[in-house]
Formats: sequence, C-alpha cells, structure tokens
Amino acid sequence: MSARRSIVSLLVALSLTTAVAFGATPVQLTFTVWSYSNDVILDNIKKFEAKNPGIKVAMQDFSWEKYTDVMTARFVGKTSTDVAYSSDHWLQQWAAANWIVPLEDFFPQVKPYKPDFAPYAIEGMTYKGKLYGLPYYADTIIFIYNEDMLKKAGFSRPPATWDDVTKMALAMKEKKVVEYPIMFQFQDITPWYIEVFLSMVYSYKDFRMFDNDLNAIFDKDGSAAHKVAQWLADGMRKHKIINPASLETTEIPLVKAMGAGQVAFAVLPKYNLADLNTPGAHAQAGKFKMALMPGETHGTVGFVRFYAMTKMAADRGKDARDAAWKFLEYFGGRTDGQFAVVKRWALEKGLGFAQLPLYKDQQIRAAINKWGNVTLEEQQSKLARAKEALTPFWGPWSLEFQKEMNKALLGQKTALDALKASAAKWKEMKK
Amino acid sequence: MNLIVPPRPKYREARYAYATVLPVVLLVALFTLYPIGFAVVTSLREVVLYKPESTPFVGLKNYVDVIRSEFFTSAWGHTLTFAAGAVPFATVLGFGIAHLLNARTRMASFLNVTILLPWAIPTVISGIIWAWIFNSSYGAFNGALYSLGVIERYVPWLSRPTTALLSVLFAHVWKEVPLTSILYLAALQAIPDELFDAARADGAGALAALRHITIPLLIPTTLIIVVYETMVAIVTFDLLYVMTGGGPGGATSLISYFVYNSMFTSYNFGQGAALAVLLAASLVVFIVIYLRLLRSEELYRE
Repeated sequence: MSARRSIVSLLVALSLTTAVAFGATPVQLTFTVWSYSNDVILDNIKKFEAKNPGIKVAMQDFSWEKYTDVMTARFVGKTSTDVAYSSDHWLQQWAAANWIVPLEDFFPQVKPYKPDFAPYAIEGMTYKGKLYGLPYYADTIIFIYNEDMLKKAGFSRPPATWDDVTKMALAMKEKKVVEYPIMFQFQDITPWYIEVFLSMVYSYKDFRMFDNDLNAIFDKDGSAAHKVAQWLADGMRKHKIINPASLETTEIPLVKAMGAGQVAFAVLPKYNLADLNTPGAHAQAGKFKMALMPGETHGTVGFVRFYAMTKMAADRGKDARDAAWKFLEYFGGRTDGQFAVVKRWALEKGLGFAQLPLYKDQQIRAAINKWGNVTLEEQQSKLARAKEALTPFWGPWSLEFQKEMNKALLGQKTALDALKASAAKWKEMKK
Repeated sequence: MNLIVPPRPKYREARYAYATVLPVVLLVALFTLYPIGFAVVTSLREVVLYKPESTPFVGLKNYVDVIRSEFFTSAWGHTLTFAAGAVPFATVLGFGIAHLLNARTRMASFLNVTILLPWAIPTVISGIIWAWIFNSSYGAFNGALYSLGVIERYVPWLSRPTTALLSVLFAHVWKEVPLTSILYLAALQAIPDELFDAARADGAGALAALRHITIPLLIPTTLIIVVYETMVAIVTFDLLYVMTGGGPGGATSLISYFVYNSMFTSYNFGQGAALAVLLAASLVVFIVIYLRLLRSEELYRE
C-alpha cells in the first residue's frame, strides 16, 4: 500500500516538475461553430495545435438553424466561449450586447488585413467603424439550375429574368419533367431565408428596402420586395411551380432534393454548387450550373461569416487574448504568408472567400472550374452587395419578416399585407 | 419514583421541526423562489440584451405589450388547440395500453420495456426522428401511405398549418403515452382481484366490470393524468422547436415558443419574463384544480 502511495506521489511530483520546466499548462480555448464539415474543422484545429503547442482548442458545434439561439444562451449564461463563428446578420446584436469585442482594440496588427478583404465582407464584419472578425468564408447567393432538366423542357439557356423562370418552370411542369421545378429553404426560422429573399430583391433596379434614415420602404406597392413577394406567392399558389414543402425546408434537405433530381431551380449559397457537382455525392452530380441571378441587374447578396473573439476571452487576460489572436490569424488570416485555412475550405468544399488575393491563385481557379465557372462567379461577386440596414434588431426582425412572408405563401395574407406587417414590426423595433 | 416524563413544551417541538426543515426550505427557496422573484423583477424592467447599458423600470408595460400583441392571442389559440388534442389522446391511449400490459401474458415484460422506449428517448431526438418521418420528400409516413395507395403524391405535412400542428401533436402523444400507460398500469394492478371475482360471481361481463369497477377505481389516476398532461401540453416547447421551428407562418408557435422567441430571438428579456410570469400564473390555475381534484380523491376514499 505504502509502495503504491510512493509511486503515485512520485508521478505527481514528476508531472509538476515537467509542467514547471516546460512553462505551465497550455492555454485552453473554447471554440464554437455551427455544424459543417466538422472533420475539416477538427483537422484544422489539430494542425493549429501542432504549430502552437501552448494552446489547446476545444470545439463545440451546434446546428446552423439554432446557432444564434444557442450562442445567446451561452453568452447570457456566461458559458465559457473564447472564439466563435459569427455572421454579418448577428454582428450588430452581439457587438451591441458586448458579447464580442472589436479586434482592432486588442490587436492593431489586424488593420493591415483590411485591403485584402472584399468590401462587402468588411462591411459585414464592421460595427461602429471597428472590425470584429477575420473571415471564415464569404460568398454570394446564386441561382443554380439543373441543365438536364432545362434541356428536357426545351431550353438551351438559363433564365435571365424572373418571368423567364416562371415560363421555364411552367414548361417543365407541363412536360412532366418535374412536378415542382422550384424549391426554397423557407422554414420560419432558417437564417438563409432572408438572404435568399434579399438576393432576389437585389436583382431589381429599385432594390432598396430602407431609406437613408433606416425607415422601411419595402412595403410600398410595386417595390422590388413587393414584386419578389408577389412572384413567390404566385409561384406557390397560382402557378404551383414552387414546391409547397419549401416552408418546412432548410438548406441540407433542399440540396439533397436538388441532388436527387426533384428540383430544377434553386437560390442557394454558392458553395452548394461544389457539393452538388461532387461526383458520387448526388444522383444528379455534374448536371448543375450557376447562372447570374435572374432579374434586371442580376444583383445579389454578398455575405460573410467570420471568426470573432468573445468578451469572455478578452477578460481572461493576456495569455488567453494572445492565444485567441494566434487562433484567429491561423484560421482567417495568413500563416507563413498564405491564407492556408481559407484556401483549404475553397479547394475542398468550394466555400467562397473574402480574401481577394486568393482569386489570383491558379490552384483555386482550377478547382472552381471543376464544379462551377470562375468567370461567372467573379462576375456575380462584383454584382453582390452587403445586406442593408444591419442593426442590432435586424436578426430578430428578419425572423418576424420570414413568418409574415410565409403567411403570404400560405395564402393567409396578401404579399403586400405581409410586407406591411413586417414594416410595422421594423418600425416598432426601431423605436 | 415518578416515571412520567413531563411533556416537552410545544414551542420547543416547533423550533425543532423548523430547524429540521430549514435547510430544505432554503434550498427550495434558492432554486425556485429566487428565480421566480428574479423573473418578476425582470418583467417590470426594460431588459433588452443589445442595450445592456440601461434597464429602466417600466412597470406593467411589458405585460401590456405582450397581451396586446397579435402573437399572444394566436399563440394561446394554438396552445389550447394543442392541449385539447393532446390530453384526451394521451389519456385514452394510455388507458388502453395499460390494459394490454396488465394482461398476464408471456410477452408482458417485453411489452413493458418496449412501451417505455419513447419515454426514454430525449425529446429533441424524438423531434428529429418525427421530422424525418413526416418529411415531405423522403419521410417514412409518406412512403407508407403512398405504398398503400392512400395518397397519390407525397404530402408536405409540416408545411401546412393544420397538418403541421397535427404532426407535432402526434409526436407529442407518442412521447407521453408511455407515462400515462405506466400510471394506469400501476393503478390497475392495485385493484384487488377479489372485486372482479365477486363481479364474475354475480354474473357481470367484462364490459360491466370495466364500467362498474375499473373505471370508477381509476378516476383519481385519470384526474391526475388529465391535469398533468394539460400542464405538459401547455409548456411544450422542444418538440415543436425541432420539428417545425414554430412554423409554417407561426402556425405551431405555442405560448412557450412565444416566451423563447421573445427572450432568445428578440433578445427582449423583459417581455419574455412578463410572458413567463403570465404562463406561470395560468399554470397556477391548473395547479389549483389539481389540488381540488386531490381532495376529491380523498372524498372518494371515504
């Protein structure tokens, strides 16, 4: 018994000595993500830890649809979180609530990165003039179509306007190519809903949703938002070209339905094109193409998802802050002169990027051309704009907007009444 | 020698009793009264998370705002509809299944375990499973109905207001029936066999025994189940959050979802707390009924 006790004591003493000799215990960072290619994230973490032996990263993942709710609960409950995925539509809320901190205040070395980032991405990561993150990825919402189905319906070119989309979808329906050619991800709470809707609005000349004083103007009869809302309501109820199951659908089921040949047209974040055309990933892989967003200007939404440092990490002290910066720079910035992690996401998963120098990378250009069209992608990126009127209440308002729009799609309200109800909600929240 | 021990003064007994229960009272106060008090205080202030610098006292404004909101009426409507469906189904099915389980067969122990499975599955997992089953593109429910020729094309169950609520209701009842079955089973097994023997001796058939022995003796259990299930139905949240996210168009947003939405989506903890207090107050009504029903059980025993 006493021999065993001696061995234990010896081991404890040895561990303590080793810890002191090698400079204390590693800094632990808690990193929250929404679930997407977790294997890649974990592998990136492993490589980061190998390069930074004094830092250990614990990843916690949550579904994209519930991510902001979970993070709110974590922040309110002060659950330890140091670095986190964030998004342009939550930045204002999180920053105003003092949950995440401006990187510039702690790491002046972040400023030289700004010229490398696309303007819409900088706008999406900036609150009160300060940069709050380094980009995880930045992308556009694009129009994807199944070329085979289009040909079966007798068309050789993709639609250029929303009227074209209706015409082609009706032809597909008539020729029994597919019962509902169009599908959206319009579940009440999915964060993509508003981005998809806005990308359609931004394809019009008079795209503005708000005036310069942030007053809602989208509820005017004949506004771009009204045209889009009416087009959606007609597509769902009058022409029956939009799958009614759109109202329960989120991103992954939509991509699966499209990959299985149940959908001819969809408006999706661009990276899905890479997945859809990955050989073996879907029954229809290889048949999907992107077109410029149908409409008058072909404009769309450009969005950014980024890595942020929490107030909790900032308050932990210098060691934690330094570790957080190393992490942020490794994942969203340069390592040994390369945007290594961002490039990996682009090559392996087709994620878009805010880091403009990567567009010159031949490896990336070749990779994009395998599943898409780099020229068209660049063209669409140039037509992309950041979401308007991002305010701390934009996120909550967008959910109210989505619910109201779904009432219009269900026929419970007219499209204009749904927009008016959303505008009233905006006014109330703004007050 | 006087062997009679003088009684201890009453106040000393009372002090002893209070001292023994005090730790428990303090614990209960810490974990229930404090949060309730905190919620009430929050409900009287403007607490919006993205305005952390100021939380002014606003009196009953939050209560007025939530009661006046369009969502309050519709959410209560959905909640009461949901409860009106959930309670009878969970009760009647539980009653029926308990009878099956009470039959002394070789399969009884296997069935006992099987019937408990839905109860053992976490609600969120149940929600995910049922969302798959009712999925409009690849759901097993659509697949089964289509194979049987009941439907000509897959139905988007979760995309229509009425069927979405019914689908969540179905999943909720599936989750609740094990509990009601077990409660009924325990009550059934407590009925003395002699009563049934006597009834048979008097020439009573199975239906007569059910009507004159089983049902009357299960009334106290039924009352408890009805009240409990009503409360569970009113506060149900996780299942519908996972299955429908409150949609489509807010059609499955029950009152509990409204509380969550105010707090975690709109970041308005003041209004969320006001709603939570209102919800708790409405539950108190059911608790009062519950207590009265317990009294009726005592009457029954007499």
